[in-house]
This record gives sequence, structure tokens and C-alpha cells, in this order.
Amino acid sequence: MVKFYQHTSSFEHAWDNVTYAFWLRYPNPFASHVVGCDVIDRQVDPVTGVLRTTRLILKQGVLPRWGRGLIKNPDAYIIEESEVDPQTQTMVTRTKNLNHVRVMQVEETQTFTVHPENPKWTQVKTEARIISELKWGLTGRVEAFGINKFMDNSVKARKGMAHILERLRQNAALAASAPAAAAAAATPDC
Amino acid sequence: MSSSIGEKCTQIKQEYDACFNSWYSEKFLKGDATPKCDDLFFKYKECLMKTLEEKKLDTLLADARKDNPFPNSAASSASSGSSSSESSK
Repeated sequence: MVKFYQHTSSFEHAWDNVTYAFWLRYPNPFASHVVGCDVIDRQVDPVTGVLRTTRLILKQGVLPRWGRGLIKNPDAYIIEESEVDPQTQTMVTRTKNLNHVRVMQVEETQTFTVHPENPKWTQVKTEARIISELKWGLTGRVEAFGINKFMDNSVKARKGMAHILERLRQNAALAASAPAAAAAAATPDC
Repeated sequence: MSSSIGEKCTQIKQEYDACFNSWYSEKFLKGDATPKCDDLFFKYKECLMKTLEEKKLDTLLADARKDNPFPNSAASSASSGSSSSESSK
């Protein structure tokens, strides 16, 4: 069985900053379950100029009681593939879980583009697919749990991005008024 | 600042991240795609690959990456194993 989810939202921040914030987004106060994030591969396509990145993210999971018999180790590995095209100002990211896939596979695609109504804003289109191959009548429950959890997590992910974007905005304001202080407050990240 | 999945790689990872972040915001987004952080990345990746082997994540990762994440056509979706085979309902 499979469930689909689709959503469009926007950030009141320029596309450049939103894509930059995407790289910086862990850690943030809304993602305390993310314990590690690594770049597996990264290259710029010499022909198209597109930056392509593969990252591996480790999340410490929390399971509902009925799920604990299904999954021994709740840690989840997530693979994130992304493409940034600075020419067309398009960033596409695709994430999916690597383990626990028989219980549930969540695939999420996000597309970041310049907002059609305001060039200083960014539009984000989110599409997700939640699949479970479990039998014994558990699939419905797992997928309902999955979609609820997914929506909770989407809200948290959005808050996390907003938090990082606000920090970037403050740093930029600081840099304009006091460059040395801004340099000290710089926040390199994953 | 986020850590590496392999504890011993966190330091080199963060050095690489710092390099990438400045390259991305100051060069790449402004149209200059000349690589700048390759040396750091090779060192970081060397450490990371050992960790992935130790944690037996290398095969899991290789399998997952067989799927083309950005197919221009729907042609590759049929070969992605069992994950999509029950998508009719």
C-alpha cells in the first residue's frame, strides 16, 4: 500500500539563502533527533554546472509501543540526494530511509524555486510517498502513523529551516553594522 | 555544528563543511564553480568510508544508490525493486 502527500509553501527569504540554509539546517532546536550528517559524494557537473550532493543522515528514532516488536533498533539512516542549478535557480532534494524499509519507506522530494509572485521569496513544493509492505493487518496502522509522523516532521523541518534563515538574516544585519562580531558569530554546519 | 556518523571523522568533516559553506555562498551561487575544498573532502571521505564499512553501512548505501534519484523519464522506476510494486492501492 502507498500513501501520497503534496504540499506547497514559501519562505520569505531569497532563493540563495534558502538553499544555503538547507546545508546548514542541522543541528537546529527542532531536529534534536538528528545525531549525524555526512557528505558521501559531491560534485559539480562540468557541462551543466549543477551541484550534485549525496548525504547520509542518522536520526535517533522514537517508536510507538506497538512498533517496538517490529523494529529492534529505532535508529534510522536517511539518504538525501540533491541537485542545485544556479542558472535556473532550482534546488531539488530527495530523501528516503535506508533501513526499516519493509516496515515503512518514506520518500520525500522537495523543489525550491524563486517564488512566482515575489522574486525575493522562495517557493517550496513537497511531494512524499509512504509505503509499507507489512502484512497481518498492520499496514493501515503503520501508514496512518507514518503519514501523521511525516506531517509532524514536516512542520518541524520547516521550523528548523526558518530558524536557520533567521540566524542568517541576523548575521547579515550584524555584518553590515559590525563585521568583526559577525565573523565571530558565523555558524559553519552540515 | 553537526557531527559525523563516525565520531573520529567529526573534526575533519567540520573543517570541510566550513570550506564548503564559504565556497557555496561566496563562489558557487555567484557563478564560480571552480572546486576549492577537494583536498579536505578526500581526507574526510577516507575517514568516513572506513566508518561506513565498520558499521556495515556501505552495502546498504550502495544498494540505495542504484536507483537514479533524478530520472528524467519514468523508465528507471520499474527497476527499483519491490518498493513500488504494490503501489496500485
